[in-house]
Amino acid sequence: MPISSLVLTLDASPESRALALSELARDPRITLGPPVEGRWLPVVTETASPYEGEELAESLRELVGVSFVDVVMVDFSEEER
Amino acid sequence: MDRRDFLKGSAMTAATLAASRLAYGQDRAAVEPPSTARQGGDVQWNKAPCRFCGTGCHVQVGVQNGKVVAIAGDQKAPVNKGLLCVKGYHVGLALYGQDRLTTPLLRKGDKQVPISWEEAIDIIARRVLKDPKGFALYGSGQWTIPEGYAASKFVKAGLGTHNIDANARLCMASAVTGFLATYGVDEPAGCYDDLDACDVLITWGNNPAEMHPVLFSRVIDRRSRGEKVTLIDIGTRKTRTSGFADHSLRFKPNSDLAIACGIAHLLVENGTYDKAFVEANCAFRASSTPPTLEGKAISFEEYRELLKPYTPEKVEQLSGVSQKDLRMLAGLFGRRDVRITSLWCMGPNQHTQGTAMNSLLHGLHLLSGHFGKPGDAPTSLTGQPSACGTVREVGTLSHALPGGRVVAKAEHRAQMEEIWNVPAGRVSEKIGYHTVEMWKRFSTPTEQGGDVHTVWVQVTNPAQSLPNTHKLVDPSRKLADKFLIVSDVYPTATTRIADLVLPSAMWVEKNGMVGNSERRTQQWFKLVQPPGQARDDGWQLISVAHRLLELGFAGMKDKDGRFLFDVKGKDGRSVPIWEWSHYYDVNVDEHLFEEYRKTTRIKHKDLAPYQEYVKARGLRWPVVQQPDGSWRETRFRFSGFDDPYVKKGRDIQFYHSTSHDDRAQIWFQPYEPPPESPDSEYPFWLCTGRVIEHWHTGSVTMRIPQLRRAMPQAYVEMNRADARKLGVDNGDLVTVETRRGKLDLPVWLGGRGEPVEGSLFVPFFDERLLINELTLDAHDPFSKQPDYKKCAARVRRRERVAEKQK
Ligand code: SF4
Repeated sequence: MPISSLVLTLDASPESRALALSELARDPRITLGPPVEGRWLPVVTETASPYEGEELAESLRELVGVSFVDVVMVDFSEEER
Repeated sequence: MDRRDFLKGSAMTAATLAASRLAYGQDRAAVEPPSTARQGGDVQWNKAPCRFCGTGCHVQVGVQNGKVVAIAGDQKAPVNKGLLCVKGYHVGLALYGQDRLTTPLLRKGDKQVPISWEEAIDIIARRVLKDPKGFALYGSGQWTIPEGYAASKFVKAGLGTHNIDANARLCMASAVTGFLATYGVDEPAGCYDDLDACDVLITWGNNPAEMHPVLFSRVIDRRSRGEKVTLIDIGTRKTRTSGFADHSLRFKPNSDLAIACGIAHLLVENGTYDKAFVEANCAFRASSTPPTLEGKAISFEEYRELLKPYTPEKVEQLSGVSQKDLRMLAGLFGRRDVRITSLWCMGPNQHTQGTAMNSLLHGLHLLSGHFGKPGDAPTSLTGQPSACGTVREVGTLSHALPGGRVVAKAEHRAQMEEIWNVPAGRVSEKIGYHTVEMWKRFSTPTEQGGDVHTVWVQVTNPAQSLPNTHKLVDPSRKLADKFLIVSDVYPTATTRIADLVLPSAMWVEKNGMVGNSERRTQQWFKLVQPPGQARDDGWQLISVAHRLLELGFAGMKDKDGRFLFDVKGKDGRSVPIWEWSHYYDVNVDEHLFEEYRKTTRIKHKDLAPYQEYVKARGLRWPVVQQPDGSWRETRFRFSGFDDPYVKKGRDIQFYHSTSHDDRAQIWFQPYEPPPESPDSEYPFWLCTGRVIEHWHTGSVTMRIPQLRRAMPQAYVEMNRADARKLGVDNGDLVTVETRRGKLDLPVWLGGRGEPVEGSLFVPFFDERLLINELTLDAHDPFSKQPDYKKCAARVRRRERVAEKQK
């Protein structure tokens, strides 16, 4: 169950930001942190596989209201070596 | 809390920190002290520059009951105006890792066993006495200015050799040679104020969003205030900086020279260069035979001819940068109505053509006249807190002397003999060993020419940071007559293989002064005691010098028979500063600095008296006294409106010109292929570098739990297309291999950086995954700086490697 830390940079427009936030809140794999200045949103994702994690990050990049996705950390410690 | 909750909590901490970082100046929480802060009235606050990078932010350090309990951005500091990056917020915790070194340790068989300081100092002195010429000191841009000055004096005035070099050779040396070749004097003419005034910021192989985040924030803040700043990122890999760029240009490794020549070609051919500026202030140069840093003078027509092959078509072919983008860059440089600042750091420096590339970058700004006005500047950044102050200014390099002097010049040696009050001829004319050569000789058997028998390392971690460590470090550990001494604060890859380990005081556990990337000299006082028996690096050096004196080594006496590091107290009597109990009876830093200050005038790097730095949050040299007795710093060097050394009435004056006519040199330097390129056997490019959370080899930042959790281990970044071809995914282990070694690393796709197809990126902070065992030790012929940014590699899925090895 890989865990990743991301930061989403939200759009300047309040409408599209609200849209993005409601979309994000619907996904049980995503935990939202408190946005910094309303614009930079810390996010933790928990997925079944690293591949799913990557797909999720990719889909967030496409999400309306999200202008940029930064991957801060991917925890590999629970991966089988 | 179960492990998953813990991991999730850590992940959220990391994301929140990163979000604050991205928000930069807009994060109000950022100016609050970190969670360790207690706001009680008994917390004493004092200023100190941050311990980490060359940006030189100032922090307020909160001390309570003899412990640093809080850190806050220093609102009064012009560099950071109260802001800090994630490393800066946590700098206070750097002191409190669980495994601080607290006692001297001597290797006996397989073990390192505690010994007394007296014994340790005596062992070092006797190693020096064995053969002073075979003793080498290897230091760093983390040495404070007084420490570096003491180290330089110890070796150059005391031992009469120049076997001293610093790790800045690995990060800044090509910048130095680029400046010298262009202006005849080292260090940027501009300063950070350029970032507040530029219309265009070009980052050349540079990722300031992670490596100099507080500086980058100045630009991003301007944008969020509605100002237009065009950001152009030119690099070999997509980085966090690219994410903010208006134009993000990818080039093939080593081909940055072709891009710079291509821009110059277009400026000349289109007639859009700044004719008036060039005619008044510049001359042209090309390589001489044999090659020298001064090269040979050429005419403008010869320069034009040499640039002719660098047509947009040709440059596109060499570099992969499109003709359209090249024309866009040339178009911007050709405009007089915009101000352009270029930033660079390790990309152009860690380059076998580093001097050439640095000269070309300066040349573009000179040719186009984008120089000397606020916002118009070619600016080279440093990675360490005192790479400029301690290494470049103090001259802790094998060819250098303090104050911008060089060993090669007899009059410079004589000047230093006078300042040091040592007999004529004491300062040797024989240049010492630069970093790569020093370690090569240390790792070569004595009978085969390996004439360095002892290396003393202070404040750096060469077993992790040198390139090709299999060749430069490991062999020495198998040779019985080689002895490695390491002073450090935590166990590192280097202390673990050392014969003698000395526990050092760090940061605010001692007095200090450092010099940042914009010529700013900063000062702080000791605020807390070091743990156990940890002691200042400066004291360690002075103590060994005094032991040598006791053992009858004449070099540690000056011409008048006084100890080289003699310091008098208020009563006029010598203070025994070589005894730890008396080291802080006087301010040794102040004494060393005031002596060093005398050396700074010939290159017009004038420093103010020590006490002026006590009052200030740093001052940029030249710092010149005013008629009213106050001291004034200089922001824009060589510019008539600000630099006191420019003759009245002149706009610009390059008063250290190598051609002695007040002109800077615009160099032609051709593109040349890299020393090692991918081939069918090793088809990838490998690039190494840094990450925002960790400072260099991670020896300190990995002790800070928040930073360690945010970035726990090294990884290999690769392009998704390559990953697909290899059949690997995020988190899969792969083996990265070069002709020098191999390493297993987890793959990270779509992370903060993304290399182009056919290339890899691995950060070097992780001591468990030593990527520098794989890198090349090929180096620039002038600066001797190795190229960590490109070598040929292959990468394989780990299972396949294992199958093959069966
Ligand atoms: S690490 Fe560098 S940018 Fe960050 S706070 Fe320290 S000096 Fe400033």
